[in-house]
Amino acid sequence: MVNIAPQGSFNRVTVGAKWLLLCLLIIPVVAGVVGVFLPAMGYFPAIGANQFDLSVFAALLDVADIHTMIWLSLFTGVAATVTAALFAFVLLSVFYRSRMLSRLQIVLSPFLVLPHAGAAIALVFLLSPSGFFARLFTFDSSAIASANEGVFLFDSYGISIILALVLKEIPFILLMAISVMSQPLIQEKINGYFKAGTALGYSPIAIFFKLVLPIVFPQIRLPLLAVLVFAVSNVEIPLILGPNDPSTLAVAILHWFNHIDLSMRLQASSAAVVQVGIAVFAVFAMLAVEKGFTFYGKKWLQRGKRQATDKAISATAYLLLVVYVVLVVSAVYTLIAYSFAKQWTFPNIIPADLTMLHWNTVFDAVLTPLSNTLLLGVSVSFSALVLVLLTLESEPLNAAKTRASLLLSTALFLPLLVPGVAFLYGLVWFQQLILKDAVWFHVYVAHMVYVIPYVYLSLAVAYRKFDNRYEMVALSLGTSPMKVFFLVKIPLLIGPILVAFALGLAISFSQYLPTLLTTGGAISTVTTEAVALAAGSSARLSAAYVVIQAVMPLCGFGLAWWLSNVLFKPSTNITSTNKSSTGKSVRSV
Amino acid sequence: MCFLLLLCGAKNTCDAIMALGRLACIRLACLTMLIIAGSAYAEPSVDGNDIAITITGPGANPNTDANTNPETNPKTDPNPVVRFHAWGGSAQVNSYLKWAADRVERKHGIRLKHVKLADTSDAVSRVLAEKAAGNLNNGSVDLIWINGENFAAMKKNALLATGWVSDIANFALTNPSNNSAMVTDFGEPTLGMEAPWGKASMVFYYRKAHFDSLNEPVPQTLQALLQFSQQQPGRFTYPVVTDYLGISFIKYAAIALNSSNQSLFYSPVTQNALEKITPSLWTYLDALHPTMWRNGEYMVRQASQLQRLIGSGELSLAFSFTAAEIPSAVERFDLPRDVRTFAMSDGSLANVHFIGLTFNSPNQAAAKTVVDFLLSPEAQAKKQRLQVWGDDTVLDASVLSASQKSMYETQQSHPSAIDKSQSTPLYAEPHASWTDALRKAWEERYGARY
Repeated sequence: MVNIAPQGSFNRVTVGAKWLLLCLLIIPVVAGVVGVFLPAMGYFPAIGANQFDLSVFAALLDVADIHTMIWLSLFTGVAATVTAALFAFVLLSVFYRSRMLSRLQIVLSPFLVLPHAGAAIALVFLLSPSGFFARLFTFDSSAIASANEGVFLFDSYGISIILALVLKEIPFILLMAISVMSQPLIQEKINGYFKAGTALGYSPIAIFFKLVLPIVFPQIRLPLLAVLVFAVSNVEIPLILGPNDPSTLAVAILHWFNHIDLSMRLQASSAAVVQVGIAVFAVFAMLAVEKGFTFYGKKWLQRGKRQATDKAISATAYLLLVVYVVLVVSAVYTLIAYSFAKQWTFPNIIPADLTMLHWNTVFDAVLTPLSNTLLLGVSVSFSALVLVLLTLESEPLNAAKTRASLLLSTALFLPLLVPGVAFLYGLVWFQQLILKDAVWFHVYVAHMVYVIPYVYLSLAVAYRKFDNRYEMVALSLGTSPMKVFFLVKIPLLIGPILVAFALGLAISFSQYLPTLLTTGGAISTVTTEAVALAAGSSARLSAAYVVIQAVMPLCGFGLAWWLSNVLFKPSTNITSTNKSSTGKSVRSV
Repeated sequence: MCFLLLLCGAKNTCDAIMALGRLACIRLACLTMLIIAGSAYAEPSVDGNDIAITITGPGANPNTDANTNPETNPKTDPNPVVRFHAWGGSAQVNSYLKWAADRVERKHGIRLKHVKLADTSDAVSRVLAEKAAGNLNNGSVDLIWINGENFAAMKKNALLATGWVSDIANFALTNPSNNSAMVTDFGEPTLGMEAPWGKASMVFYYRKAHFDSLNEPVPQTLQALLQFSQQQPGRFTYPVVTDYLGISFIKYAAIALNSSNQSLFYSPVTQNALEKITPSLWTYLDALHPTMWRNGEYMVRQASQLQRLIGSGELSLAFSFTAAEIPSAVERFDLPRDVRTFAMSDGSLANVHFIGLTFNSPNQAAAKTVVDFLLSPEAQAKKQRLQVWGDDTVLDASVLSASQKSMYETQQSHPSAIDKSQSTPLYAEPHASWTDALRKAWEERYGARY
């Protein structure tokens, strides 16, 4: 292979872009962690705390129920991630070689693009004692909805939180795995293993668990850990579905940070440090679970059984599929029906009448949040896309593992592996010190931190698949690297680029905590409004906002798909092969 | 679209009350300190006026219009201007004040100017700055819409004219001798410094269909509420005490359960006083909690969720501080048609908002005329209309004449609205210090529910 070392001013631009991208990923997170660590150690000059000691932690441990909060965070997060991963593998093992796989992706995509907050609100509509399922199974028309026998929602074990997280994470893990499995090298390997396994009489499901998963798992370990960290530290889902006697630690942190009494910041900061500890502990717990599975997996492998309780696994997979279909259909029905409903008393399953009133209200109020959301989303996603493209371009063609690229691959997961509730508050503290009034800049930076990793991961797959010979031919004909980039690569990669842009939009749309904290509520977006309305008095407006939350990213992806087909017709064959793999790593944080 | 406005109206009233209660304590404290420092520094100087203007900065720049413009002088001006500084964040309130301005201009030839504030404490700061600047009779604020902490701050700094409220003819219609809430602002005696303008009082609302099918009487007292909840577990709950409505329920319960010690609530809280009133409160809540929605294990975080749970049918009984929001929620389909609103017969916690007259207003006589109009049955009835603002009248129905009462009658058309012709006893808000004390005691006993 020819090593073409790019030179000249274009190269300087791309290398500069790479360092800028690294700075954007690392500085806010590190600054944020320092910003919570100092107050946690008792240093918070604004309220006259200048001493470094551990008294803040001692005070934190005296808080009633603190152990329960920590346990609840850890338990819900780990249980949800392990369950989601297992279910995702079960689904994959049954469908990985079937045509059902693409249909599966369609069924799962609503849960994938819907922000966590939206998914949690949707579950409230379905599972509450007066929700759709309760209505479906109440046959006495004079019945009164009773909340005292219900198991779901706000239960003190956090089962509802786990349920919501599992439903939301399965599609993400599944699609991460599919995107790994569709990489040419790995795909080739899997095909070979599959043939060998089949020849030896192993069932397809057994082949998946014994031969395919061991190849795939190391590739999705980091995304899986990102899911785990999100699961133990997220705020939206426990806030909407979780218990409050006590709540998870993340919710308590949010409460303490927002307390009028500024001295509560100390306690909040120490709790945020504990939250980082929980995340680290959860990561190790997860790795231990993985080790356990590997250990027993090897023994299981050696026994050489040709089947892997195939029937039970198939049954589970189909059951899951049914659950998703039922959930998606009922959620879509309930949310849309609520957003148009006049009177709709329990236990009727259809509204008495329909009206445009709620949508009129929403349209009157949504313009500012919507334009904020779009402005933020487009600017963040576009600049992230430019930075990521240039960064990918800065890598030498034969992609040697330079120190910078190693740093890059770690930095990409940094924002996903440090709990947002921990570093965002520290970041806000720094933002108060520098450029206090530049609210848009701060929220832009906070969104970039979350958008860059996903845009990068999504585009890197396409870049890796890109046939270098196009570039080489162009270069050998004397075209400058910049011209090759603009005239050859971008047109050929326009499909994945647009999908990555749509993904960036979707991630930016879904940000709740980063938006709320960095703006102090000064800039409202559709998601912050939706979470506020989830607690509001109108179920109907809340439903309408969830619908908007779901439609916005779908529009983004639809537009990306349509544009990529319209813009560069000659490259359709290339974009279509790439499209299937790049639309997958969608996830909202 | 009309009902849409109604809901906004109800919401805005709530916002208005909260905005009134908000106070930039720090800002005021800083200002006070600056003024003290400034006057100490200024002592050798000649004219206190100039110096104060320079030290108070642009945010609190005393308006010099009155000094330079002889037209505003009440003695010479046949059409005096009364500047009413009031929170301007609500379209309903703003258009109501526009109506009021038209009326007083036609009736009394007074031009009422609504100075729309984003935060009431801005105006408080301005009057304080004027006082420090030695502007003792030509202030830029005539009337100010306040309550709670802003009033306490103005009272402390003697920024309001005293004893003028008894000159207002229509003030007698509030029946102040029977309604202590009309002369007490969050536990602070008003001493005639401010006149009541409107009120929000705690109302309860319920699903009539539920009570009919459960065959239960609607509870009219706090004790009856407990009996109902014990008979029919899960039909009632209240928000956590960090919520405004949640702590209000606790205040209501504390006052109702300590009828013999009610005076304790109207002076600053002491440990002794707290220990006197909590035993009966805890006994009551200990009995109530296990019977509540979700067995009391989960309590809603925001008041707004009560309405939602009534709407979905999970609750049968809830309460609110804005009676006007109930019928408008029915019209918006967020509440079912069988919802009925009532006030507890043992007393309703009332939160009154007031109009203060500044000590240095150059137009005191005209300002009093404006207040008299705003307290008239005509203006109060208009304000109470759901389509206008929906803010409760401060006039006591029992002292109104038949013709005055008739002005209110157009409003009882909505079956879900409260019957306002009934007068119910009102509990004034306890002294502001009780809020934190009760909240803390509750959290210690039942856990801080985040």
